[in-house]
Amino acid sequence: MNTKRLILISLLVLLGTLFLSACSGGQVSNNWHGLAADAERAYLSSGAFVYAIDVKTGKQVWQYPAEADSKLMFYATPILTADGQLLIGSAGTHHPFTSLDPATGKEKWAESFTKNKGAWLSTPLVFNDTIYAPNTDGFLYMMDMNGKESADPIELGGALWSAPTTDGSLLYVTSLDHHVHIIDPANSAVNKSINLGGAAPSSPVIAKGGVYVGSFASTIEFVTSAGESKTIATADNWIWGSPVLDGDTLYYADLKGNIISLDVASGKQNWNATQKDDAVIASLLLHGDQIYAATEAGNFIAFDREGKLVWEKNVGGSLYTTPVVSGEHILVAPYQAEFALAAYDKDGKQAWTFTPEK
Amino acid sequence: MWDTLIIQPMTNLLLWIYDSLGHGPHMFGLAIILFTILVRLVTWPLNASQVKGAQAMQELQNDKEWQEIQKKYAKDKEKLAQEQMRIYKERGINPFASCLPTLIQFPVIIGLYQSITRALSATPFDMLKLARTMYPFQVVENIIPLNSKFLWMDLGRPESIQVLGFALPTLAIIVALTTYVQSKLTMPATSNPNDQSAQMAGMMSIYMPLLLGWFALNFASGISVYFITSNVLGIVQYAATGRANWSSLIPGSNKKTSSKK
Repeated sequence: MNTKRLILISLLVLLGTLFLSACSGGQVSNNWHGLAADAERAYLSSGAFVYAIDVKTGKQVWQYPAEADSKLMFYATPILTADGQLLIGSAGTHHPFTSLDPATGKEKWAESFTKNKGAWLSTPLVFNDTIYAPNTDGFLYMMDMNGKESADPIELGGALWSAPTTDGSLLYVTSLDHHVHIIDPANSAVNKSINLGGAAPSSPVIAKGGVYVGSFASTIEFVTSAGESKTIATADNWIWGSPVLDGDTLYYADLKGNIISLDVASGKQNWNATQKDDAVIASLLLHGDQIYAATEAGNFIAFDREGKLVWEKNVGGSLYTTPVVSGEHILVAPYQAEFALAAYDKDGKQAWTFTPEK
Repeated sequence: MWDTLIIQPMTNLLLWIYDSLGHGPHMFGLAIILFTILVRLVTWPLNASQVKGAQAMQELQNDKEWQEIQKKYAKDKEKLAQEQMRIYKERGINPFASCLPTLIQFPVIIGLYQSITRALSATPFDMLKLARTMYPFQVVENIIPLNSKFLWMDLGRPESIQVLGFALPTLAIIVALTTYVQSKLTMPATSNPNDQSAQMAGMMSIYMPLLLGWFALNFASGISVYFITSNVLGIVQYAATGRANWSSLIPGSNKKTSSKK
């Protein structure tokens, strides 16, 4: 091989490598963690693995799969079912939807559900012994508790990133196609699709007679079960996380860093605790007498119900995942931080951190 | 720096075109095609110099002095190379002019790939990055999420068509073919098997189609739309000069063609 050929091949290999490194993450994109917990364990979906962590000690109980599989990626928030399953779908190049044993991490279903064409980024809803699983291919899939398809999937359009919610009779599913879809589970029919004016990446919150839902149109809409909608509040930027309702008070946040308490009866703001040069993507958490906010700058903040700052901790990394409660602890899962999970008590004292073993 | 100078302007431009087209089905593919045309217009002087360089190289093959040194120093490669460089210098010919524009395309390709994946936002984190990428005057709430469908393709995924149970990567094949055609057309014909610049161009005409075909096979099909559009425009641009060496498309015919001239 002469020198010029060698130079040329080296150059092409270099360019190819440059292209590949620039494109890494393209085929299987990165995303922040999904987090769920019960009284004993936290369940963290974090890229190649789902981890179960003992909430008392912060030690790993199991990981799934045992060995990394480059085709599987887990970002959705897992869900625990009443009959003892942990449901999680993959967002990798292969998209199985799998049931695990929460105690051991072993697969419960011999065959994962794989009819979907897109990735699983959302948490499913279990309602009346049916698993309602929204997929990024725009379909809502329905399975029985053994993972067998129980009805034809409902095509909603647009990628579905959020968990459906139910008022006990109807399902409400938001979509990136700007709509909240109202579905009658009795006949799997879409009763109404209401345009929100912007993509809706998070779940609606159930209220009397309908739901509150935020969107990239920077508004909070009240959508009745009959499909009528009304804008009840506007924000300075995209509303990403789900609102939280407590009586007549609705808490929500936006990408401008506003954390807002709204009196839905009067439509007036009770308070706004703006986090300057920061953004709130995660849903707020209402627990006990405090409101917890996790911010992109890695701050974990507790307010009382009057909007007064109780404490603020910098966790590190970026907090995009909604905090969850487990026993005495509030768990936060920072993205691109030294650790993947941390537990705090209600006074803001860190109990433990969890870093996956390499 | 890369983000600010390459990704951000490219993504904003792509979305601006998409929005201007009415952001319906197939429009993101059309936006990529229009974007490619724009890139070709901006890099027109570079491509023109590529065409000019390739023509100069072809003309050189019929030059008496050039042919004489080929014969005279046929057995002394070092001396032949020195003489060739002298002639290149005297006549202001850059022997690599036909290769460089292809290589310079790479930052555009990488930038475009990242812009496409960012614009299509497969995950919430991608979407958040997209929100941060947009210029303040761009109102993207109405157009997000982008419609990634174009003809039979999902522009965010590698393309293939099921034929008799096999996944046929049609775009990857078209990318490889058009890249081959473009590089062959612009490749200087040579009468000398020892002409190193022609050898290098010859190798490029084999490796580049394979490399770009492999990219098309493995990455989002939006990038294949860029490759094909860019290649077709390059072929048209070269054919418009009336100097396209169409017979060189047949493997092994390059030397015969030049000897006929």
